[in-house]
Amino acid sequence: MRVASLPARIAAAAIGVCLCVPLLVALVGCGEHTGRAVAVEPDPVGGPALLRRLTESQYRATVAQIFGPEVPIVARFEPGLRTDGLLAVGTSEAGLSAFSIEQYDAAANGVADAVLGGEWSKDFPACASRSGDAYDAACASAFVTKYGLELFRRPLTDQQLQRYQQAAKEGTAKLGSLEEGLKYALVGMMTAPQFLLRIERSEDDPDHPGRRRLDDYSSAARLSYFLTNSTPDAELLRAAGAGELRTSGGLVRQVDRLLASPGYEQAVRAFFRDMLEFDLFNDLAKDGEIYPAFNSEVAEDAQEETLRDIVKLLVTEDGDYRDLFTLRESYMTRALGVIYRQPVSSRDGWELAPLSSDGDRIGIQGQISFLALHAHPGRSSPTLRGKAMRNVFLCQDVPDPPANVTFGIEQDPTKNGGLLTARDRLVAHNTEPACAGCHKIMDPPGLGLENYDGLGTYRSLENGAPIDSSGNLDGVAYSDAAGLAQALHDHPEVPNCLVSRVYSFAVGRDIVWKERSYLDYLIADFEANGYRLPELMRTIALSDNFFAIESPADDPENISQLALAGAQGGS
Amino acid sequence: MNNRKPDNMRFCESSLRTSLAALSLLLAVPGAAAQANVPWVRDGEAAFVVSHIAYALGPEAADSGTCPQGMTRNLQEIAAMTTEGRQRAGESDADYADRLKAAAKVLGTGPGGEDLCMNPEAGKPDPYFRTVQRSDVRVDGIDLDGEASTDDFLGEDGSAGIDNQWYRVVGCSRSYQPAGQSNSFNISMLTGSWGILVRLRGVDDIRNDEHVDVDFYANADPIRLSPAREPLAYASYSPHSEPRYRASTTGSIHDGVLTTVPVDADFQNEVNSMYLNRPLRAARLEVSISADGELDGYLAGYTPVEAMYDMAYGYRNGWKLGGELAPLRLRSGSANGAAFVLGHTCTGAWYALHDNADAFPDPASGKNTAISTQYRIQAIPAFIIEQQVTPKSPALAGEGRGE
Repeated sequence: MRVASLPARIAAAAIGVCLCVPLLVALVGCGEHTGRAVAVEPDPVGGPALLRRLTESQYRATVAQIFGPEVPIVARFEPGLRTDGLLAVGTSEAGLSAFSIEQYDAAANGVADAVLGGEWSKDFPACASRSGDAYDAACASAFVTKYGLELFRRPLTDQQLQRYQQAAKEGTAKLGSLEEGLKYALVGMMTAPQFLLRIERSEDDPDHPGRRRLDDYSSAARLSYFLTNSTPDAELLRAAGAGELRTSGGLVRQVDRLLASPGYEQAVRAFFRDMLEFDLFNDLAKDGEIYPAFNSEVAEDAQEETLRDIVKLLVTEDGDYRDLFTLRESYMTRALGVIYRQPVSSRDGWELAPLSSDGDRIGIQGQISFLALHAHPGRSSPTLRGKAMRNVFLCQDVPDPPANVTFGIEQDPTKNGGLLTARDRLVAHNTEPACAGCHKIMDPPGLGLENYDGLGTYRSLENGAPIDSSGNLDGVAYSDAAGLAQALHDHPEVPNCLVSRVYSFAVGRDIVWKERSYLDYLIADFEANGYRLPELMRTIALSDNFFAIESPADDPENISQLALAGAQGGS
Repeated sequence: MNNRKPDNMRFCESSLRTSLAALSLLLAVPGAAAQANVPWVRDGEAAFVVSHIAYALGPEAADSGTCPQGMTRNLQEIAAMTTEGRQRAGESDADYADRLKAAAKVLGTGPGGEDLCMNPEAGKPDPYFRTVQRSDVRVDGIDLDGEASTDDFLGEDGSAGIDNQWYRVVGCSRSYQPAGQSNSFNISMLTGSWGILVRLRGVDDIRNDEHVDVDFYANADPIRLSPAREPLAYASYSPHSEPRYRASTTGSIHDGVLTTVPVDADFQNEVNSMYLNRPLRAARLEVSISADGELDGYLAGYTPVEAMYDMAYGYRNGWKLGGELAPLRLRSGSANGAAFVLGHTCTGAWYALHDNADAFPDPASGKNTAISTQYRIQAIPAFIIEQQVTPKSPALAGEGRGE
C-alpha cells in the first residue's frame, strides 16, 4: 500500500509555518494525493477516547427526540470553540464555564416543568397506581430508568439508578409532590456530565489484538451524532445492547437506517453549518448606511439558502460534492432577492430560481453566506474571501497578519488617492515584504469575487473604476467568478479537504499522523463513488477506524479514562 | 366658484419645472447610462415602488403672509371667541375647558341633531376656515391643464399655471404647515398599510423615449424596509389584481424626465386604523429618472371633493381590516377628534373643498366636482410579480372596503 501525502493543512502545521513564503512552498508540494485508489481499509488506528460536549444543535435535537419537539429550551448557549477548522473538534477541548452550568440548569428546569406538567404518567404504567402526591418507588424507578437510558445514552448503573431514585424520593419529601420529586431527579440527570458530555468508553478489540475500540453504547452514540446529529434512538440503543453493532450485518442495517432517516439531513446541515463557519453570523455586522438591506432576516436566510442548496444537491440528488461550486440555481426568498437584485415570486417561503446572470454568479462561494461573512462591515475583502477559500474549502491554514501590519493604505482615503479598486490597494499594500507572502496566497482567489460587494450584491465598478476579477488559483488562471468557480470545482484538494473535515467531524478530533493511510483510503473511496457525500459518510460509519481507539500505549496518560472516572465520581 | 375647465381638459405637454430640468442636466454628465442597459431595466421593463409621498404644498403661512386673516380654527377656538365663550371670573380652568367642550359639541351638531363631521352638508359654511386667497405664491406642483388662470399659483421658477387648489384649501391650516401633522401619511405607507407600484414597459432609452407604457398599481405587499426604516430598492412585490387598483396609460421620456398621459387611478390611505380610498382622476407623473433608477417628481391630478373630504376630514366611508365599514363611533370620533387636534371644522373643510374645486364639472349643475391635488413622490427600483395574491396590505385586505 502506498502512503500518500497529507493534506496541505497538516503539512503546513507540521512544518510550523509562521510566514507564508514557506506555506506557499508547502501548498505546492503537498497539494496532491496519490490519486491511487486504496481498495481495502487500512488497519484501525484510532485516536484517544474523548469527552465531547454536546453542541447547541445536538442538545436541542436530543431534547426534542427524547421529550418531544414541543418541549421548550430556554437557555443561552456559549459560543463553541473552533479548533482545526471545526467546532465539532472544539467540543472535545472546550470546558464548561459557570455560566454554561447555570444555563444548562435553567434549560433542564424548563424541560422538567414541561415534561411533568401534563399527563406524564400515561407513559409509565408503573405510575398508574401511585397515591396522590406520595412518593412511589416503582413509579420513580420506571421514570428514572427510561429517561436515564435515553439521556445517558446507555443503561444506568445500579449506583446511578439508586442515586436518582433517591433524588426523586428526597425531592418528593421536600417539595411536596411526586411530580416535583421526579423533576428534581430529571434536572439532576440533565445537568450530569453523562448527558452534557459524550463520554466515550473503550474496550479491547478482539478482532485486532493489541488495539482498542469504542464499547457498544459509545459506538451507538458516535454513529448517531455523526449520522443524525442527535442521540441514539430506541432501536439503535437496542441494537447496541444486543451487540448487533459488532456484526457486519447489524452495523450495516443500523447505518443504512440512519442514513435513510429524516435525521440524516440534519446531520448534513450540522456538518456544513460547522464547516462553513456559519456560527460567525452571530457576530456579523454590516454598516447600515452602506448595506441597508442587511438585517437578521437576511443573515438567517443566507445560511438557509446555502444549506438548502447543499441538501438538495448532496442528499436529495446524491450529487457530486464539487458541483456545489458551480451551482447555477439556488433557493431564494424576497429578503435575499433584494441583495441579489433578483425577482422572487414567493411572498413568504422559498423558491428555487436560477441565479442571476450578473457576473456569472454561480456556486456557494458566490452566495451571500460566503460573500457577506468573509468581508468587512463596509466593504468587500479579497483577502478575507481568499483566506476563507483556503481555510474552508481547501483546508489550508493561512497565518494571521503580523502584529505590526499597517492597513493605512486600505483604510485611509488620504493615503490611497487614485487607488480606486481593492486590487489597486492590495497591489500597493503588497509592496510590504512582510505582507506579500500571505497575500500572494489569499488575494488571487478573493479577487475573483470582487464583482460582489461586502454584502454580495453584484457591481461592475468600484469607486467608478471597472473591476478586474481575474485571478489564479494554484496555477489555474481565470478571468471572472465563473472561472474561479470552475477552478475550485476542479481543484484536487477540494474533495480531499471535505473528506478530512467529515472524518474530523465524525470523531471529534483532528486526524492523527498514523491515520494518513486511512485518510487516503477514504479519499480514494470518495473519488471512486463520484464524490458523493452520503456514500462517504456510510464508508466512514462502517469502517473499523471509525470506532477505533488508540491503545493505552499510545495514550500513556489515559486522559479520557481519568476524566471518565472523575465524571462518575461527581455524578 | 370656478368651473372654467372642461371635462376633456387639455393637458400641458412640456411644462417641466426648473428643478426637474436641473435634475435632467445632472443626468447628462458624461458616462451616464442612456441606453436601457442599466440593472433596473430588464427586457425593456422597469418597475418601481413609491418610497416617499407627500402633498406638494406652498410656503409656511407665517413666513409668506398667505393667511392675513389668521389661521383656521377649531370649534372650541371659535366658541371661545364669543362673549359667552370667555372664561368667567372664578371659573376654574377645568370647568372652563368642559364648558368650551360642550359649546363645541353644540357647534358641531346640525339643526336636526346631525354630527356635522358625518353630515357636513347639514351645516353652514365656517367663516373661520381660512384659505389662501392670493395666487402670487410659489407653490410645489406642475401645470395640469396648460393654462395660467387667476387661481393658478406660481411655480418654483416664477412661471404661472400651477394647478394646486388643494394647497389653497389647506394653506391656512396649522396641520398642513411644513411642521404640521397632516402631511405625514407617508408613515402609514412605510408601516405597510398600502403602497404604490409603477411599471414602465417598452423602455428603449432611459433618457429619451417617445413612447413607454405606464402602469400604476396598488401594492398588495407591505413595502420592504431597512432596519433604519428606509425603503429598500430591488424588492419584489405583487400588485393587487382587481382592476380598480390598476391603471394603465402611456408616457414619454425627454431628457430623463418621464411625463405620462392622464389616467384615473385609485390609491389608499390609513387614518386611525381605518382604511380609505385615495382616488386621483386624470393622474399623471412628471418625474425625473436618475441613472440609479430613482424617480423624483410629481404625481398629480384631481381628487373628487367628496373623496377628499372623506380621506382628509370626515372618514365617513373608512373601513376596518377585512373590508367592513368601520363602526360609526370610530369614524365620527376620529373625525371630530382630528378636527379638534388639527385645528379645523368639518363643515369649513367641506365647503372649502367645494368652493375651490376646479375640474370635472357636474353636467347638471355645472359645479366642479374635483380639486387639483399634487403629490411630491420618490420611487426606487423594484420587481413587480404578476400573480393572484391575497393582499397583505391592510388597506387592501378583505372585501367591500367601506362600500
